[in-house]
Amino acid sequence: MLILDKDLCISCGVCEESCPFGAVTMQDGYPVIGDTCTLCGTCVENCSAGALSLSVEKAEQGDLAEWSGVAVYCEYYRGELNPVSLELLGEGRRLADMRGVELNALLFGSRFSGELDEVAEKLIAHGADRVYVVVADALSTFREDLYCRVTVALLRRYKPEIVLAGATAIGRAFIPAVAVTMHAGLTADCTSLDLRESDGALLQTRPAFGGNIMATIVCENTRPQMSTVRPRVMKALDRDDTRAGEVIVLEAGELLPEEDGLDSRVEVLESVAGASGAVNIQEADVLVAGGRGLENAEGFELLAELAKLLDGKISASRAVVDAGWIPYPHQVGQTGKTVAPKIYIACGISGAVQHVAGMQSAETIIAINRDENASIFNIADYGIVGNLSEVLPMLIARVKELS
Amino acid sequence: MKIIVCIKQVPDVTEVHLDPETNTMTREGVSAIMNPYDQHALEEAVRLREKLGGGEVTALTMGPPQAEGMLRDAVALGADRVVLVSDRAFAGSDTWATSYTLEHAINALGGADLILCGKQAIDGDTAQVGPGMAARLGIPFVTCVQKVREVDESRLVVERMMDDGYDVLAVKLPALLTVVKNINEPRVPSLKGKMKAKKVEIERLNAETIAAKADCIGLPGSPTQVAKVFAPEARGKRIELQGTLEEQLAQLAVKLVELARGQEVR
Repeated sequence: MLILDKDLCISCGVCEESCPFGAVTMQDGYPVIGDTCTLCGTCVENCSAGALSLSVEKAEQGDLAEWSGVAVYCEYYRGELNPVSLELLGEGRRLADMRGVELNALLFGSRFSGELDEVAEKLIAHGADRVYVVVADALSTFREDLYCRVTVALLRRYKPEIVLAGATAIGRAFIPAVAVTMHAGLTADCTSLDLRESDGALLQTRPAFGGNIMATIVCENTRPQMSTVRPRVMKALDRDDTRAGEVIVLEAGELLPEEDGLDSRVEVLESVAGASGAVNIQEADVLVAGGRGLENAEGFELLAELAKLLDGKISASRAVVDAGWIPYPHQVGQTGKTVAPKIYIACGISGAVQHVAGMQSAETIIAINRDENASIFNIADYGIVGNLSEVLPMLIARVKELS
Repeated sequence: MKIIVCIKQVPDVTEVHLDPETNTMTREGVSAIMNPYDQHALEEAVRLREKLGGGEVTALTMGPPQAEGMLRDAVALGADRVVLVSDRAFAGSDTWATSYTLEHAINALGGADLILCGKQAIDGDTAQVGPGMAARLGIPFVTCVQKVREVDESRLVVERMMDDGYDVLAVKLPALLTVVKNINEPRVPSLKGKMKAKKVEIERLNAETIAAKADCIGLPGSPTQVAKVFAPEARGKRIELQGTLEEQLAQLAVKLVELARGQEVR
């Protein structure tokens, strides 16, 4: 709970002003805390008099020292290793070396032969000391409940202190269930990780409130410390085939010996990849994005041409997705996807905060808009003021000349 | 079919900013809205009830008493019952403690055949509470559902949106789904709905009535803690391109090709 020391309070009212939830009101010179308080601690941090504090009594979860090592869930789906897995091994390697512990990769598949064998080798070449490969026919398709159960069994057996997974459709689907079952803290969508000097606790930084605020989260009293991490934020190590590592193959049935251990109440009837409109814009190096300024669905044809020249993909603002000009998987922003490409070309996008939340971590942002006051120009590295129907064909012609 | 929809009142996040100089959050006129994804979850629940020709849709929220307004909106949009689970002891809950609290609330309501949630709330963006509840309830769950293809009293066939396509899944009930926004187009409240919303009695639960353990709720029950809050790094200043539009585009084209290839253009 939030504690006020009236003797220290100087009645400045900063707590009232700083509360993001409007929970503090000054009455008779002292703050009164209302029901909307979430104990976020902002007022405590801002109180220059040190009159506010948070009292926390935490339940201890056994001996934390029993937990050691860094584990990375490596996503292998539809016969492909998600690139975020290698990025996480790169970051996991750094953390493991700082802690002086091992880096283990968790890999699931139907059987250990050929392809999966190669994937395991690749994980070692990218930094893993050990790869736990869990195999069962039931693991050939992704089902939240089953993946959760297998992961929990692995974590209970090997007790890593840190668990990382990609903040992908799959990672974000089942990792939260793992965390709850493990009684572990989980931080979603981290964009940077570090270790606290004093106690080695994992410092997990993520954007909140649509990217308007960054928050660093710690899980002091529970293990493992779990994070999902945004794709394209961490750097993978270069492949080094001289690296040595161990591959341990486990039958899922051995991990989950109960008779119904591998049963799922979910059945995969069909798996459709690359359906019309399905596109993984999060993996693209270049995104050419269209907004209302395109004026109609046909406007995307020019964007497609530019995207093709730059080996990129097309994305869009919410307005044009809602207008039906382009399918939902292309949407960037608060109710769409969060992307971090090398180049983001925003065409006819005004730059509403909801859109910016999804693309502000792009390395280079280029804005093309006929309204020179459009807020997208505030975050752009390069800006062109002009009509898209005029600008795009000229730009395309120029890029073609250089290709 | 008994359907519980979990909804959350969120600040309109577009209005929340951190002043990089003072490191304080500004909240001038921040309004509270029903989390957009949850609106789609509620709409889907109402549609399923209509499709099945019966059943009950309960909208459940955990939050401060101020969330009552949102619950009335939920009735206007088709919910039959609305429940507020509220207690000062819940303050500071992270997703672990929130999923614990909601699970206990759902059990206190006698459970459900189907639980629907939005994919995530736009203030926290974690997408963790839905899967967390399912794990606690021991029921199957599917995230990011973009379509309910078939429904009967014992199972659903749904489409789960994936990063590069979708999967078609059959799920046995009871189950929990989280939905994305292209699942439906939420209706606007009807006049009749608005009248009903005015009169509806909001059911209330608290830590005691849901039999929550003190060390599992609120800040003490939350494994994660916020260590620091700060403003995101400002982007660099815009590089001005010079000359006529044509000249600017010529410079931009060179830059684009260089960045895309990762090497200089001769």
